[in-house]
Amino acid sequence: MALFQLPDSQQGDDIAALREENHRLRKVCTALMERVESGGSPNGAPYAAFERSVLLAEQVRERTDALHRTLDELSQVNARLLAANAEAHAANVSKTKFLAAVSHDLLQPLNAARLFASALETHALPESSQALVGHIGRSLKDVEGLLGTLVDISRLDAGVLHADKAPFAVSTLLDALAEEYRQVAGVRGLTLHYVPSRVWVESDLALLARVVRNFLSNAVRYTEHGHLLLGCRRRADGLEIMVGDTGPGIPEPQRKAIFLEFRRASQPQANHSRGLGLGLAIVDRISTMLDHPVTLASRLGHGSLFSILVPYAASCGALEGASSPVPSAQWGDDPLQGCVVWVVDDDPAITEGMQALLGSWGCRVRAAATVSALEAASDGERPAVLLVDYHLGEHRENGIDLAARLRRRYPGLATVVITANHEASLKRATREAGMHCLLKPLKPLRLKMLLGTLLEGR
Amino acid sequence: MTTHFTNHGLSAAASREPNPQDAAHALALALCHEHAGFVLFFCSAEYPLSQLADALCQAFGELPVSGCTTAGELTPDGYDRGSIVAICFDRRLFAVETALIDDLEHFDLPTAQPLVDGLLERCRRQAVAPVNEHSFALTLLDGLSSREEQVLATLDAALGRIPSFGGSAGDDNHLTHTHVYANGRFHTRAAVVVMMNTRLPFEVFSTHHLEPLEHKLVVTAADRERRRVLELNGVPAAELYAALVGCSVEALAPPIFAQHPLAVHLGGQHYIRSIQRVNDDGSLSFYCAVENGIVLTAMQPTPLLTDLAHMLQRVEARLGEPAAIIGCDCFLRRMALESLGQLDQASTLLRQARVVGFNTYGEQHHGMHVNQTFTGVAFGALPTP
Repeated sequence: MALFQLPDSQQGDDIAALREENHRLRKVCTALMERVESGGSPNGAPYAAFERSVLLAEQVRERTDALHRTLDELSQVNARLLAANAEAHAANVSKTKFLAAVSHDLLQPLNAARLFASALETHALPESSQALVGHIGRSLKDVEGLLGTLVDISRLDAGVLHADKAPFAVSTLLDALAEEYRQVAGVRGLTLHYVPSRVWVESDLALLARVVRNFLSNAVRYTEHGHLLLGCRRRADGLEIMVGDTGPGIPEPQRKAIFLEFRRASQPQANHSRGLGLGLAIVDRISTMLDHPVTLASRLGHGSLFSILVPYAASCGALEGASSPVPSAQWGDDPLQGCVVWVVDDDPAITEGMQALLGSWGCRVRAAATVSALEAASDGERPAVLLVDYHLGEHRENGIDLAARLRRRYPGLATVVITANHEASLKRATREAGMHCLLKPLKPLRLKMLLGTLLEGR
Repeated sequence: MTTHFTNHGLSAAASREPNPQDAAHALALALCHEHAGFVLFFCSAEYPLSQLADALCQAFGELPVSGCTTAGELTPDGYDRGSIVAICFDRRLFAVETALIDDLEHFDLPTAQPLVDGLLERCRRQAVAPVNEHSFALTLLDGLSSREEQVLATLDAALGRIPSFGGSAGDDNHLTHTHVYANGRFHTRAAVVVMMNTRLPFEVFSTHHLEPLEHKLVVTAADRERRRVLELNGVPAAELYAALVGCSVEALAPPIFAQHPLAVHLGGQHYIRSIQRVNDDGSLSFYCAVENGIVLTAMQPTPLLTDLAHMLQRVEARLGEPAAIIGCDCFLRRMALESLGQLDQASTLLRQARVVGFNTYGEQHHGMHVNQTFTGVAFGALPTP
């Protein structure tokens, strides 16, 4: 059966059948015309979707495909960028870690060398030798300063240094610094004006000391005549600690750059060329970490004024005298004379160096790597002070635990924990255990002052 | 009773256990291994579905599972009924991601594009194979939703060059409720999109065994919402179709529809428009979209087994011996084979080619909803590096 209802042979035979056939043909024509005129099927109709999938989808498919490819390429580029970024970050971290590790390892032998040099200074030596020993001591001190700077910057970069904020009287910090730098400035023919303040602030004392010290060192380094100023100004939102000088001043374009690593303003005098140009970079990092803004005012040819704004302590005097690492107590030779000092350190070079140094101060020193060895050597003598290394080797208890153990046997034993670990948490732990903490490289003068304070109070 | 095979990261199993717990347990036992990444299943609509859903969740645990109900299953043994067949994909060779479309009415391109992009992105993250050229989409649709055409066209536009195929879920010829399964339960008026990214070579194919006759029928009245043709050539549709095939209107039934299909001729190809049933008003219901003014061509079958064998040979020539084939086989083909007594011969061909799949209420191929075809994907062996 074809499209038409009637076979051709019947055509013309039956009018009624022809009419019927004509009626159907009209319907077919109408349906076809409607469809042709609607341009296929009405939009949105199911059949239209099918028809379009068959006929038109190719174009859409190609475009979508091009989009997919572009997206794919983009995400690949993205992935590569991420990988490159991660790699660069890893390289930076590993560099920082390497620097920290190297600096740390160098500190140990340097520490020993400093102890030996200090011990040597107390010996009766010919004058020429004394000058040489003095040079050795100063050179070692410079190396120590440089290493300390490197350790600090690497630790700041590695993000392992955390602020340990506590309230303290700003005078505990500034009095000591003023005293120290008055002498340094004197050597350079400069005078230092210090305006003391009795205000209490809240900050990390060690980190803040680092900042002010850097300000002072720079002032001394760059100022050829005139004077330096160390003082404070009370501001609404904190105490501004200021260091001024009458140096050459810093030109406006350089004022930002000097806070970057390895940048220095005009060349310093030959005598003071030691330094890595890291001082203000460290200041910048510490200022960010402590959230203490640093400002710089300068006039060319007249001088510069660096300052740091430190918040006031919430409740002044709460912790007065509790944890003052720069004791202002007067000390003499007497308290150290003949007192029994125990030293526990797993490094024989350090125990030997300590023995020499403490011995030169008149202490009776017992130094060993372990408590049992110490007690065996001590003949039942009661120790007055314990100096213990924090890190006593891989599988041993740490210095704080060892000291706590000894203090149960010798109640009230004054304890100084010595460590190369600059983490604030460790400082806090020793403070909480009622012990004192000194950082490596050990500064003989600092140790002597601390021992004096500890023994005097007895 | 369980039969199964394992080949190139693909393992398939079937169970005829009528109890949902027993069936699910048997499948999990046969299929689960430490590298199992995804399970696709096809089950008879005779199963109590909510119990089966619970049993599947329990048996497969965290393993993602998708599937649908059928009008007959293609198991590792060939044609079957009243069973459940499943195929498990090794995640070392397949990254599989699925999405459920539960609002077929409002599935537009702004919805489809993020859905497809999300599927591709999640596949890409598993980094099994490059996403371009190594992915295809499998669609499982509610076979009675009458929304296949729009959903497929939209999805296909979003898929771009990514090949797609699939089937409409069946319900053992009851034409009442068909279900797709995703996220731990069965859904109606919904679709599941399964994106597969694989290291195995594959080919999406579609074949039918029908050829055109001279007769042309013009749809002169249609109810497009209900997929009904009211009139053909100006005559009530059932009457004209019955006259065409040479029987009475009363005798019209699925075996005749399978034997005498109609097709539209578009872009040089014939696409079968299968008749679902005769209605009391003399109209014909279809399994796919119809429209007033479309021209239908009468078709006649050629030997189905010969066409099937040729298609499988062509696939094997390109991919080598197939690791497995997922097939969507129109239930009218199965009916034709049953009436010709060739079901066992067809089962042998399908078993040899490792076909697993189901009898559908319509197949999907590159965004087109088609009928009376055998459509699917064939996987080749993992290329040796």
